[in-house]
Amino acid sequence: MSGRGRLALCAALATLAASCALLPLVDPATWLLQAALLTAVQTGVGAATRRVPLARPLTVLAQAVVSLLLLTFVFAREYAPAGFLPSPASFGHFGTLFEQGVQDVSRYAIPAPLTDGIRLMLVGGVLAIGLLVDTVAVTYRSAAPAGLPLLALYSVAAGLSQGGARWLWFLCAAGGYLLLLLAEGRERLSQWGRLFTDRSRPGAAPHQPGSVGGPAMAPVRTGRRIGVLALGISLVVPAALPSLSGGLLDDMGTGGGGGGNKGGGTVSAVNPVVALKDSLNQPQNRTALVYTADGDDKDLYLRIVALDKFDGAQWKPSERRIGEIPDPLPTPRGLGPDVRTRTVSVTVQASDAYAQDWLPMPYPASRVQVGGKWRFEPEGRTLVGYDKQTTRGLRYSVDSLQVQPTAEQLRNAPAPPPGLKREYTEVPRSLPAVVPKTARKVTRGAKDDYDRAVLLQDWFASKGGFSYDTEVAAGTGVNAIADFLKQKEGFCVHFSFAMASMARTLGIPARVAVGFTPGTARGDGKMEVGFQDAHAWPELYFEGVGWTRFEPTPTRGSTPPYAQPDSPDADQNPSEALPDRNQDDEPSAGPSPSQSCSAQQKQADPECGMAAPAPGSGSSAEGPPVGTIAALGGSGLAVLGLLSLPMLLRMRRRSRRLRARGSTSGSPEAVLVAWQELIDTGWDYGILPEDSATPRTAAERLTRIGQLGPEEAEATQRVALAVEQVLYAPVPRAAPGTADEVRRIRAGLRAAAPRTVRIRALLLPPSTARLVWSARRRGRALRVRWARALTRPRLAK
Amino acid sequence: MTTYDERANLSELSATAGEVRRCVESVIEGKPEVVRLSLTVLLAEGHLLIEDVPGVGKTMLAKALAKAVDCSVRRIQFTPDLLPSDITGVSVYDQQRKDFEFKPGAVFAQIVIGDEINRASPKTQSALLESMEERQVTIDGQTYQLPDPFMVVATQNPVEMEGTYPLPEAQRDRFMARVSIGYPSPAAELEMLDVHGGASPLDDLQPVAHAHEVAKLIETVRGVHVSDAVRRYAVELVAATRSHAELRLGASPRATLHLLRASKASAALAGREFALPDDVQSLAVPVLAHRLLPTAQAQLNRRTAEQVVTEILGRVPVPAIGPGPAAPGTAPGAPAAPGPYAQPQPPGQQPPPGLPHTGQPRGY
Repeated sequence: MSGRGRLALCAALATLAASCALLPLVDPATWLLQAALLTAVQTGVGAATRRVPLARPLTVLAQAVVSLLLLTFVFAREYAPAGFLPSPASFGHFGTLFEQGVQDVSRYAIPAPLTDGIRLMLVGGVLAIGLLVDTVAVTYRSAAPAGLPLLALYSVAAGLSQGGARWLWFLCAAGGYLLLLLAEGRERLSQWGRLFTDRSRPGAAPHQPGSVGGPAMAPVRTGRRIGVLALGISLVVPAALPSLSGGLLDDMGTGGGGGGNKGGGTVSAVNPVVALKDSLNQPQNRTALVYTADGDDKDLYLRIVALDKFDGAQWKPSERRIGEIPDPLPTPRGLGPDVRTRTVSVTVQASDAYAQDWLPMPYPASRVQVGGKWRFEPEGRTLVGYDKQTTRGLRYSVDSLQVQPTAEQLRNAPAPPPGLKREYTEVPRSLPAVVPKTARKVTRGAKDDYDRAVLLQDWFASKGGFSYDTEVAAGTGVNAIADFLKQKEGFCVHFSFAMASMARTLGIPARVAVGFTPGTARGDGKMEVGFQDAHAWPELYFEGVGWTRFEPTPTRGSTPPYAQPDSPDADQNPSEALPDRNQDDEPSAGPSPSQSCSAQQKQADPECGMAAPAPGSGSSAEGPPVGTIAALGGSGLAVLGLLSLPMLLRMRRRSRRLRARGSTSGSPEAVLVAWQELIDTGWDYGILPEDSATPRTAAERLTRIGQLGPEEAEATQRVALAVEQVLYAPVPRAAPGTADEVRRIRAGLRAAAPRTVRIRALLLPPSTARLVWSARRRGRALRVRWARALTRPRLAK
Repeated sequence: MTTYDERANLSELSATAGEVRRCVESVIEGKPEVVRLSLTVLLAEGHLLIEDVPGVGKTMLAKALAKAVDCSVRRIQFTPDLLPSDITGVSVYDQQRKDFEFKPGAVFAQIVIGDEINRASPKTQSALLESMEERQVTIDGQTYQLPDPFMVVATQNPVEMEGTYPLPEAQRDRFMARVSIGYPSPAAELEMLDVHGGASPLDDLQPVAHAHEVAKLIETVRGVHVSDAVRRYAVELVAATRSHAELRLGASPRATLHLLRASKASAALAGREFALPDDVQSLAVPVLAHRLLPTAQAQLNRRTAEQVVTEILGRVPVPAIGPGPAAPGTAPGAPAAPGPYAQPQPPGQQPPPGLPHTGQPRGY
């Protein structure tokens, strides 16, 4: 086989090996055979066209066309003329299939069944990666960069799969890549002439002229050894490093159980709203939790997590410190002694189908008895599982306070602490102006925060003309809330996000809680909570009471008694649990489809209770939020990040140099650092720094070569004089404001430079070479030190 | 910190020096840098060697400088038959006092103009050695101090080789700086025709500064601060001449001293109370070049000492925050002392070989 043919074969093998990592994601694995077959044809076409030979772009084009024909033949035969020619209809079918695939991916848990849509995504993806690898490695003859598409493929798979023999897939993918590198190296070597066997090895067979299957050639064998060694090291070393939590071998039980997490850490900002979604889109309402409460409480919202960070498009949980679970848990923040509370004990049994790494609990819990690896996050009062701990099949009991404030207490709440208020009333500047405007309009005439909160809640729940609709297609991104306010259709996510945002604009500390509504009473006195009871609601902070639940979503959940000031009982008889909005229609016992839907509402809205609310879909469910795309985007971003590394490093350096810290802004070192920055800036704009230039000369060069205007030239002069003062004067005197001068000169240089120079200065600033130099120098110093350390004992001997 | 007195001295120095300069420039047109250099040498207590082709105003410059300062001036016309005693002086027997009496020679003046110094024999030339370096004359075991300030301004003609004796190295080393006047620009020459067409402008020249004023200025120059970095830079420059492949003889330690003193004077003339690397750079060629001996190979290649010094100037890094690769180690937020920045590279160190020179200078 010719070297190039071998290379092509290895490229195809590498692609297939990397795509093996996708195997655990989908259940039968037959798609791989199909993908292998199509990849083989694609590679064959490539090899044939290269033999002709065609121009390189033509080769790639031919491969792409054949791949398209193959895909059409396999997936859209009946829509294509002659069974394989692409037509608008066949493309339409592809689109439909792809959409289906996207939906299937989000619908099914892993491993997913092999639907046509998923099959198209897999096979098409593998073919595309194969084409890319073949193009880069074989047609354009540089195998090393072909690792990037392979890496993208592998990372998608590795990111999506959970557990299993991940190390095996890693071995497959890395082995494939190494094979490709080996083949390329071999081909390159062979271009220098005949390859010789290693004669120095005793017992090696002498080289037979023309023998193909002879002993491995020495460089090739060395290469293989290095490859195997590298693979071994990459598998074993992460297991030994505590910070990498066991690495790929973790699942084999050799990783030491990821002991590094025990002491605390931060909650990762995985958005539970998105995480929930996969399990929520279930056609039938599966049971998530069953719980018994010791009282006859019907109002036990089980809270999972609080989303307290609002970036304009979405609410997210922020990263916070977590620690051991104290017993009992600390008093809830802001809860005063004169507010009536009652302790409720709840025992919860999570079903096997429900795997969530936050623990659903009534808020605020005061004592938790739970087995497994859980940590307590005090700010949101949530329990977080670490080291793959989830609620799957878990049984735990929680004592929690039922806080029963009176409307009067809420009304007379003092101002919240400034720190909390600052954190929880922050809204991004991108928030459309209509949100605060509407909030003010709705709450006009209110005397205090409590009135405003209730007005907001009632506006959403009844007076504002909003309707509950799970099929709504509200916009995404920063305009989602504004769109929702206009369309007045949405579900709990929209209502809670909108109300919390509006409360924040009114200066009321607010966050969004995610969890479950109380669920449905079963015959045996237990409450059953289904996946469709997932819910989101706003929590507003009132000093003296703490975080207080409100219920803006119409037809879902129940409005807490303190949030109904109109109700005659609310103020006068606070000790009695007030009937909530839906209680009259609620069957007291016996199964019901969903406790949160009243009879009338069901008539009005048959979807209610049946359609799963998809929290977070306000921002992500409309598009194809598939992991594949996310991962592909992620790897693309990674490549982009790598390319923009010089720019980022330079920007970081500049901002650090020119940052005027209060104490050092006028200090000698600030002047020197600013000067260094000026020299580097000049370098970026094509004025090569000269060792032998004095500050004046350097300034003069900057002015002359950089074609600075008179103002900037003067500034340059001033900076040079300041540097002289610092470096050579008897007593260094620093002039303040050097950093600003440097910024002005930079602007001048920028304005005078041609566009290419400007772009280079931005993207690939030459002065980043300094970083390389310093790294090299450091490396050299290290080598010298090592060499010294190594030779010393020998000398002593 | 500069005291008020020092500041006042500096401004006084600038004023006086400015007047002297204007005065000299009224005679020597279109050569401000030459005039400035001669003033620098005067304030740095050095001696000046003016070397150029005949007729460009060497003697005129020397005389103008001497005349601008109100002090004793003697002129020695160096001729082949000049004797050392004509310069230093001679002891003659006084019949009346029955004792030897010392008759001071031409060197006993505050400014000594040695015209065509290379026409005298080396024996005569060397009579100046002691007086130039030590500012004294020893005759018959008796040492006579020379007045203060003392400056020798010598001229020589590099073209005429017939009947001349090139200055010995020791003599050349004693001159702080060598300056070439060069031909004037056409405009300056035209103006010169106007001025010199009538009476000699030298005759109208009135002294603008007194000798004791000059002595005070010299005192001020001595007080100019030279930072460690600049000192080290001067030493490196001089050291680089000693190891240069094209030089048979590098500059002496005295050259370093002269370079530094001249830099101080240059800084003071600019009204600064501290010297800069710029001062060192601008003076390196006049101060160093005449002391250097190029190798035979370099002479064959038509390399002059001036070119070598210029090349060294372009190579030795200035003790600033390194525009070169020396600096990146000094990360932002490094200790406050200028130490890491003032730390110069060892002479001759180049950026690591093989480094891509990103960024091309443009505009050249």
